[in-house]
Amino acid sequence: MKKKTASTILGIMLALVLAVGPALAKDKNTLVVVQEAEPVGLDIMQSSIQTTMSVGYNIHDTILKPQEDATVKPGMVEKWEKVDDLTWKFTLVKGATFHNGEPINAAAVKFSFDRLMSDALKSPHKGKLTSFKGVEVLDDRTFKMSTSQPYAPGLYMLAQYLFVVPPEYVKKVGDAEYNLNPVGSGPYKLDKWVKGQEILLTAYDKYYGPKPAYHKLVFKGVPEEASRIASLMTGEADVISGVPVQQRQKIVDSGKAYLTDQMGSMNYLGLNTYEKPFSDVKVRQAVNYAVNRPLINKALFKDKAILCTGPISPRTFGADPGLKPYAYDPVKAKLLLAEAGYPNGFETRLAFGTYMPQVQEQAEAIAADLAKVGIKVKLEPYERAVMWDKYKNKLHQMYIYFWDDAPEPDRYVYSLFHSKSRDYYYKNEQVDALLDKGRSTMDPAARAKVYNEIDRILYQDAPWIYLYVIPEVYGVANAVDYKGLRDGYLIMNTAKPKK
Amino acid sequence: MNRPAASPERFRHLRASLRLWGETLRALARSPGAVAGGVLFALIIGTSICFQIFYTKDPLAQDLLARLTPPFWQEGGSLAYPLGTDNLGRDVLVRILYGSRVSLMVGFASVLVACGAGIALGLISGYYGGRTDSVIMRVADVFMAYPFMLLTISIIAVLGNSIFNLILVLGLSDWVTYARTIRGSVLSIKEKEFVLAARSVGTRNRVILLRHVFPNVLSPILVLGTVRVANIIIWESGLSFLGMGVPPPMPTWGRMLAEGRVYITDAWWLVTLPGLAIMLTILSINLLGDGLRDALDPRLRNIPG
Amino acid sequence: MGRYLLKRLWHTVYVVVGISIISFFFIHLSGDPVMLMLPGDASMAEVETLRQQLGFNDPLYVQYWHFASRAVTGDLGVSLYHRVPAIRLIMERLPASLELAGAAMLIALVVAIPLGVISAVKRGSLWDMSSMLGALFGLSMPHFWLGIMLILLFSVTLGWLPTSGRGTLAQLVMPSLALGLSLMAMFARLTRSVMLEVLSLDYVRTARAKGLREKIVIGKHALRNALIPLVTVAGMQFGFLIGGTVIIETVFAWPGVGRLVVQAIFSRDYPLVQATVLVLAVIFVVVNLLVDLIYLYLDPQISYLEQK
Repeated sequence: MKKKTASTILGIMLALVLAVGPALAKDKNTLVVVQEAEPVGLDIMQSSIQTTMSVGYNIHDTILKPQEDATVKPGMVEKWEKVDDLTWKFTLVKGATFHNGEPINAAAVKFSFDRLMSDALKSPHKGKLTSFKGVEVLDDRTFKMSTSQPYAPGLYMLAQYLFVVPPEYVKKVGDAEYNLNPVGSGPYKLDKWVKGQEILLTAYDKYYGPKPAYHKLVFKGVPEEASRIASLMTGEADVISGVPVQQRQKIVDSGKAYLTDQMGSMNYLGLNTYEKPFSDVKVRQAVNYAVNRPLINKALFKDKAILCTGPISPRTFGADPGLKPYAYDPVKAKLLLAEAGYPNGFETRLAFGTYMPQVQEQAEAIAADLAKVGIKVKLEPYERAVMWDKYKNKLHQMYIYFWDDAPEPDRYVYSLFHSKSRDYYYKNEQVDALLDKGRSTMDPAARAKVYNEIDRILYQDAPWIYLYVIPEVYGVANAVDYKGLRDGYLIMNTAKPKK
Repeated sequence: MNRPAASPERFRHLRASLRLWGETLRALARSPGAVAGGVLFALIIGTSICFQIFYTKDPLAQDLLARLTPPFWQEGGSLAYPLGTDNLGRDVLVRILYGSRVSLMVGFASVLVACGAGIALGLISGYYGGRTDSVIMRVADVFMAYPFMLLTISIIAVLGNSIFNLILVLGLSDWVTYARTIRGSVLSIKEKEFVLAARSVGTRNRVILLRHVFPNVLSPILVLGTVRVANIIIWESGLSFLGMGVPPPMPTWGRMLAEGRVYITDAWWLVTLPGLAIMLTILSINLLGDGLRDALDPRLRNIPG
Repeated sequence: MGRYLLKRLWHTVYVVVGISIISFFFIHLSGDPVMLMLPGDASMAEVETLRQQLGFNDPLYVQYWHFASRAVTGDLGVSLYHRVPAIRLIMERLPASLELAGAAMLIALVVAIPLGVISAVKRGSLWDMSSMLGALFGLSMPHFWLGIMLILLFSVTLGWLPTSGRGTLAQLVMPSLALGLSLMAMFARLTRSVMLEVLSLDYVRTARAKGLREKIVIGKHALRNALIPLVTVAGMQFGFLIGGTVIIETVFAWPGVGRLVVQAIFSRDYPLVQATVLVLAVIFVVVNLLVDLIYLYLDPQISYLEQK
């Protein structure tokens, strides 16, 4: 009796230990992508989190293919024409279907747009498409979309955010279930999602576009940097995201993998210009001169970061090529501080989110630089929720945030600086007006000039300490040919085996 | 002279307890483990207090171009940074030394807080009994079943992380063991002659508690407290590791580990040395605690370890 | 026995209710998730509307009442962040937590009991001293540091084991070892000290005097009694392990409940935090109940009616 109990307990424990599935056998038709975290859901309309978006973009197609220079190419929409400054007319490819066989038609596009804009879904992408009034279905394959004002980034925004989902399926299962079991229009369909382990996608054989080179696509989430790199080195993974600077050379030296550095993350240090001491432009310029960005770039990023001049990333359309980054000049910084009435500096706070990579060492380095001109900085590491909450309630004095180094300037300069968007820490009517103008100027050359001017004004007015664009590197196994994208989404149908 | 004269009973008792402490110390001195632990611990405390006399570096001074310098015995290392530098080129040795202060301070202060709360509640619970007792013990049950890490993390999420809050949180989350131990001891002492005698002459409850009962439950608390200091130091480093501990730039062992973890493949010293420091400290405390327990044996056989 | 069970049931209820109240108030006091749920350019009016919709403007006790009355019917709410029922998320993660805790416990017990018994029997021997010193080292290492050291050794330097994740037996080795070692140390010490105590008791001496073989004395008489405190401590530790392994889960990217709930705390995902804490509390209490029953089985003389 006793023995029996004991052996039963032992048996159960053993069973527990052995109840672990075997590792997924890897073949050359399978591509394994390891990200920093597992997505929380797979409905790309419901999330703006990078890990979700990366998986989601493989399952969901938008109507057009966004390009790295903020232009667009045909995709699900095979051709389009500009009817007037406010309206585009689109024609869908013939015979395209969703993964469940539903036809991709104009009605589905309309349904998708309406779903994205609905209050019920609370989509984080809603704001990106508010300029559009709606989808007007002309016939099965054609539809029109118009804006109330000329909207220059329109096509690019549609290419980035108008995902198309199957109406029948969504209506049947509801939003919550769709988030777990999406059926999309993209090159890959969801095969199965083993929570906490992996997401398995397989190529959709009736995809309207070119077939992806890899038949199977596996996404895994591994938060530990070291572990991700190890998985690339051992061949467990083909593509890994989030490779920290100090590990990059190691990957190159290993001879097993290479790096893509298309993606950048533009870090910036925001200043609360509504309150003293940063309400004074001289103080704001002074702190820009006080931070030794070239040294930080050299030490922390191995000189691979791009120093920013103004708010528009140097790689982005509209950045003023005539601007030079603020030089490191502590003497000038002290002079400006003295002029502003702070000859002995002041005390302030610097908040940063602990979830950002490498952020604490940047914050500490910046604080050390500011200390040299007499500014005592108290560091405030916050978790994501607190950081965001304090940000929106205007409680920060200095804060480090980042934005992806996106090709379309309107996307973030408008979001961050227009007083109709975020009016948390800075407001400038001249900039507001120019941002509106930039949005509605349809001619690219004229539009570039508008953004050049915005860049210059904000450079002078310095509502931020302009930092740098840090290359966000992906590690790719040598057997795989993959370039990567500037916004970092892992759209893997462009990957192929290397010859 | 309005203090009541001490009863001979009490004096006798005091002498007995003094004698017990003397014996304890002698027993401690006979145990090689306890002596080793004591010496090691004294060294750690001494270093933690006095190191600035010998080693004057600034734990916050950065030398970005000398970042990730290995310890002196490795190729590329130098005696300028005996234990190497971290990711911002700060001296690892001096940071570990400063870190010891945080760990020890948080460890001891939290235990004091926990002790204070636990002793008070345990005394009250055990001495008064009845409804007071059952309420306190029910609350203790609840705290016992609450996953400790989750409790501390959620309280810190409310209060924000500072060294003071950390001490408060760790202390207040850890009162249960003390309260239970004290309560047990009080229950057994309560019926002893000298307490009954004091009560029969009309001494007030509070006086009995503080003067007669409390001194007699001190030794289990001492042993328990020693063990808990070790645990708290580990928990503190764990919280720091999760980014919920003492905020930067003040160096703590746990955060040094967390920061170093990113550099695990090319700066082994960053993840190894602060951990070694934690281990040696805990080891010394545990050795001392074991010695204490053995020395105070057999009265304390059932202290949870 | 019946009265005892009734008492335990009451104990279970107040502990679970107590825990849910504490966690409810702490998480709600720490700010709400509305800001995090909306995109960066959402207006303050939108924030307020959502807050109203989610009922976060009600007084706390009203919110708790809503939560509790739904929880009683088994409805633990929908995660704000993941947008799926909280219980579903927990159930997806629970097997991983049980697996890790079970493996750690198994490693710990399998090594610790023989170690402790032999040490006790050969008290003062070299074996005793070295294994107890080893146990002391084991107790003195923070388990997350041990985890990192294991990664440094087995993954980075030797390349034998995968650094993290769950799925294969190889991936279970390091986290369960890291978690199991301090338990092992604790159990070994406990086994030894309890065995010493038991071995000095009268009936063991009598058994010895009667000339029974040493193995039988130790195995049948001593160990059985020594198991009682061991089972108590192991049970309690197992309860803690299910939710208390956040750091090890973080180090090894183990998809357990601990990480789920900590992330939920960070994103102020109230329903998920509430649900997880509740589930963990129930597990803890149930495990302890089981321990008591095993206790009863090991030592039928213990009278529960008097004990509690």
